[in-house]
Amino acid sequence: MSKLATLSEAVSSIPAGAHISLSGFAITRCAMAFAREAIRQGLKGLTLSQCVGAMDADLLVGAGCVKRLIYGGGSLDRFGRLANVNRGIEDGTLKADEYSSLSVAFRYLAGSLGLPFIPIRSLRGSDLMKNLEEKSPGDVADVDDPFSGKTWKVLRPLNPDVAVVQVQSADEEGNAWIMGPRWDNVEQVKSAKRTVLITENIISNKTIRQNPERTVIPGLFVSHVVELPFGAHPTSVYREYDYDSSAIETYVEASKTPDSFKAYLEQTVFGVKDHAAYLELIGGKSRLRKLKADPDLGY
Amino acid sequence: MTFDYTPSELMAVAGARELQDRQVVAVGLGLPVVASFLAKLTHAPNMTVLFELGVINPQPIHTGVGLADPRVWYQAEVLSSFVDILGSILHAGRVDVGFLGGLETDKYGNLNTTLVGDPRGKFRHMVGSGGANDIASCAQRTVIIIRHEAHKLQEAIGFITSPGYLTGSNSRQEAGLRGGPSRVITNKAIFKFDDKSREMELQSIHPGNTVEDVLQTMGFTPKLPKDVPFTDPPSHEQVRLIREVIDPERIYMG
Repeated sequence: MSKLATLSEAVSSIPAGAHISLSGFAITRCAMAFAREAIRQGLKGLTLSQCVGAMDADLLVGAGCVKRLIYGGGSLDRFGRLANVNRGIEDGTLKADEYSSLSVAFRYLAGSLGLPFIPIRSLRGSDLMKNLEEKSPGDVADVDDPFSGKTWKVLRPLNPDVAVVQVQSADEEGNAWIMGPRWDNVEQVKSAKRTVLITENIISNKTIRQNPERTVIPGLFVSHVVELPFGAHPTSVYREYDYDSSAIETYVEASKTPDSFKAYLEQTVFGVKDHAAYLELIGGKSRLRKLKADPDLGY
Repeated sequence: MTFDYTPSELMAVAGARELQDRQVVAVGLGLPVVASFLAKLTHAPNMTVLFELGVINPQPIHTGVGLADPRVWYQAEVLSSFVDILGSILHAGRVDVGFLGGLETDKYGNLNTTLVGDPRGKFRHMVGSGGANDIASCAQRTVIIIRHEAHKLQEAIGFITSPGYLTGSNSRQEAGLRGGPSRVITNKAIFKFDDKSREMELQSIHPGNTVEDVLQTMGFTPKLPKDVPFTDPPSHEQVRLIREVIDPERIYMG
């Protein structure tokens, strides 16, 4: 069954207040076009989760769409901080549940396996755990190991309402390939109630069947497949295109104050009607051609 | 015969000396990358290098802006996931050495990468943990690399993102944590940790520094041995490899 949809249709399938996991890692494979459309449609009160905070989450936080962020810390690599996320934490407008990379991954893993909780060695003795025990007591607990008698910290599973994942290739049914490292994306998909795929390319079901060991996201988890070249711009998609340094620098500069970020949103999100208009705004085909990855290098 | 090397180059070399052949090493970006690639190119060719997001043994030919940059994944042997690297390898106890950095550390090697106070008395929220807390909690031992400044080497830190020896003595073990920090490498000195109290102890100072200067630029007084030796300087070959092969654009070394 074809699950092809427009970006607008996929975003409007998500209700206000939903828990969305996002596929970005710092400045790579971020669901940027998805985030821009969610902002345009006025999606509010979201809970977002991802192992390492990325540009997709920072954009949504900066646009006031997010109530709660469950993450393991993050940055825009050498480009700078997650300024909107940090500002939200500092001024108290964003409830941030702060973990480590692995502890969020374990919460997804437990969710994907249908387990009631998952023990973890990380977080013990840290102020991360102290804060979680004080501010999110329903998500962490102590359990005695029935085999050794030792006490373990355990985490509640995460089961997002929707996983939004930016991939390189998928067929119309949602069988998808992720090239390069997958960080938390497969566990995100398998723990979520359903998945929206944003794909650079649509490939045929025949191609999928010729390379079945490459399928890391089975179509059965997927509700919508959106074909959207350069959907992660200005972040990178391995083997497709590089990150756009000057566009990320523009973002970093804009995100320094709420006023300058508002102006950035007016121009790059509200000022364009859709993703195609956004790509024209940032320089169209000639700009995008420069970002295309070298097939041998992957960037 | 003398030759020039920078404090950062000596730090990278000191980091490389902590690594042995066939070990499994978890690294973040920056100086630890230089240290681990230097070890691999010299005395530890069979070492395994891990990046948290799912990268094993890359051989980059271009320097990257961070772990999210495909430049640093180039020619990897494995591209997988957090659960694979931080779970099946690190959490399971298969990482011998983890490198950690931070905004500040205390005499027990606890690290803060989450919150720092600013001059107006407010807190600024920073990068947080990423995989650092996982490495600090689960590696067999860790090596901390940090700049030698009074506000970075503190009596008490504002937030423990990644645990060292917590409050000293057996407190780390009692919390159920594995391993712990074994070295702190700064641009002026190298520290180890006392076997019993788990306090930081000065091990050596880098050539060109004095003990007085090292102590004056710290926020606490470490344990001091009777004699403090100088850190061995890098070899010509080590410096050549750093400058010509590992970081020719001087992106990691500044």
